[in-house]
Amino acid sequence: MSVLEKEIRIQGTAICSGIAIGKPFLFLFSEEHVPEFIVQREEVSEEIERYRMALSKSKGEIKNLQKQLELDGAHEGVLILDTHLQIMRDDLITGYLENQIRSTQKNAEYVFQVIMNDYEKQFSHLSDQVFRERIKDVQDISKRIMKNLKKSATISLADIPVNSVVFASDLAPSEAAEAHQSRVGAFVTEFGGETSHAAIIARSKGIPYVSCVDIQDLSLIKDQWVIVDGRKGEIILNPTDKTLSTYRSLQYQLDSHLQNLKQKGALKAETADGYQVRLSANLEQVGEVEEVHRFGADGVGLFRSEYICLSEGKFPSEEKQYQIYYSLVKQLKGLNLTIRTFDIGGDKGNHFFPFEEPNPFLGCRAIRYLLKHPEVLQTQLRAILRAAAHGPIRLLLPMVSEIFELLEAKFHLEEAKQQLKGKGLAYCEDIQVGCMIEVPSAAITCDELAKHCDFLSIGTNDLIQYSLAVDRGNQGMSYLYNPAHPSVIRLIQMIVVEANRNGIPVSVCGELAADPRFTALLLGLGVHELSCSVRFLPIVKNAIRGTRILGACALADEILRMSTAKEIQARISKAYQHSVPHDLLHNI
Amino acid sequence: MKFEKILRVNNRLGLHARPASQIAKLLRNFSSSVFFTCNQKRVDAKQVMNLLLLEAKKDTEVHVEIEGEDAPSLLEQLTELFDSQFGEALR
Repeated sequence: MSVLEKEIRIQGTAICSGIAIGKPFLFLFSEEHVPEFIVQREEVSEEIERYRMALSKSKGEIKNLQKQLELDGAHEGVLILDTHLQIMRDDLITGYLENQIRSTQKNAEYVFQVIMNDYEKQFSHLSDQVFRERIKDVQDISKRIMKNLKKSATISLADIPVNSVVFASDLAPSEAAEAHQSRVGAFVTEFGGETSHAAIIARSKGIPYVSCVDIQDLSLIKDQWVIVDGRKGEIILNPTDKTLSTYRSLQYQLDSHLQNLKQKGALKAETADGYQVRLSANLEQVGEVEEVHRFGADGVGLFRSEYICLSEGKFPSEEKQYQIYYSLVKQLKGLNLTIRTFDIGGDKGNHFFPFEEPNPFLGCRAIRYLLKHPEVLQTQLRAILRAAAHGPIRLLLPMVSEIFELLEAKFHLEEAKQQLKGKGLAYCEDIQVGCMIEVPSAAITCDELAKHCDFLSIGTNDLIQYSLAVDRGNQGMSYLYNPAHPSVIRLIQMIVVEANRNGIPVSVCGELAADPRFTALLLGLGVHELSCSVRFLPIVKNAIRGTRILGACALADEILRMSTAKEIQARISKAYQHSVPHDLLHNI
Repeated sequence: MKFEKILRVNNRLGLHARPASQIAKLLRNFSSSVFFTCNQKRVDAKQVMNLLLLEAKKDTEVHVEIEGEDAPSLLEQLTELFDSQFGEALR
């Protein structure tokens, strides 16, 4: 084995902050990549069984194909496929292969690959061109078996070695969801943007994540330490001892800082000079409510209800939704719960659409979809109204861009109430209704929207993306995606001013709210409520407590006069470093 | 019972995938062991992938060894298969 001599640093896009030092684990890196891992002795027969299933599935597929060809009268084809079936009975890929799994204790994909490579090598020595060509049949079969084998893979991120740095081409949300913090030290991917679901899940679990990493040569990744710096979006292969020890001590300081913050859950979210702030949590799942209490949040500022459809692949019934919302409101024990109606479309839940839209982020998303499918909307509204009879629930409408959307949704809300009344079910008559302000048109006309709703909630992720016209998942353009852009800050100010003028509360629930460097600025702009993933609650609360409201207002005034994102970024970073010097996660 | 015999590959394309799989398919119905030798390679003839490695072109003489109880009838049917040119002559 050649040992890398030099430290290699690769720059990617920072998706989730934090530092990890671990051993690499190549996770289904690409179609060509074949995973290799050890199978525990007691799991060998299971592994063999998995191979047999893949083989038998492959045979079944061939037989079906044969039937099809037979119906089409393609007799030649039937005979050719017969050779495939015969080859699949060969000892090399049955008995011999199984013995190899037993003796090497390696996974089936790997053993299969080794055997096939070996066979192909023998084949390549044949002198006759016509015969050498015949390898194509074997390759065809081999591909089929491998495909079925990979599909059956029980390789999940749930049971990989502890402290692995997972390298993958891309991550599916379900894969990220299976990952456990104790095993996955970090994610490194070739593709996948900040707004991808996998990214949101990684962030909510606090797993450092760097994407857009161009690893041309996978052989560079040896069984050596890898450092992932999720703050800078950098990965370091083959770190020197000096680098390792620097990062180990950094990691230690970060951990102790966070531990320290977490213990202060009971403290109030108020500034050093006593200005009270509402600090709420963004939730995707019911399971996180316990932490809402532990970290002393004031409630749930954003429940992303679409996640209950995404995991089920369909819209849940009224009863099922009611049970979920009811369980949430009960567990929250009187704390506020803001439920956002299904925000599907864009990059979420595309299977709900009969055809692919050319530009889904500018297409039938969220409220647009719901107004086109009133039965879906009314079902959800009924479930929410019923749950609201048991505790304080607010209703939040996503992606509103025109006032008629708000009015139409309110019309459906009244319909839903009438339906519940007709059935004699308990519901909340005067539920509060709010608009997400995440589209520039809504931000600019929010004085009109504010007149017709009870609260506003600023979704910064989309507001930034739509204002700057930048898809932050776009590797080449992400440098333009800057939350500190003056246009974004000024839009937030406009919204806050209009909300205050109309006497309704306004919250910020995008990722901006989770970044403590923005906390003072947001408070200074007049934001009343911040809502972020549970994991960031202690960090943001600490930032609030380190802020003085008068200073924050002065800071906001100063920043509103600035002309570039760079200036603003530097100014807020400096202010944060000054008030919370110990946070090495954000003071880079 | 053990038999040895030389069989000649008569079909135009030699023992490519289809004839090889026909051979294996036939032999797998018998309990006898069957080995083919040609081009300095000796392989288990019940395995298609092995047969392909023999690189047995037209007119190659294959040395066949059969051992087992059902060897006689196996040899008879195998000879027939070779003689029929694996059905290719019919086309």
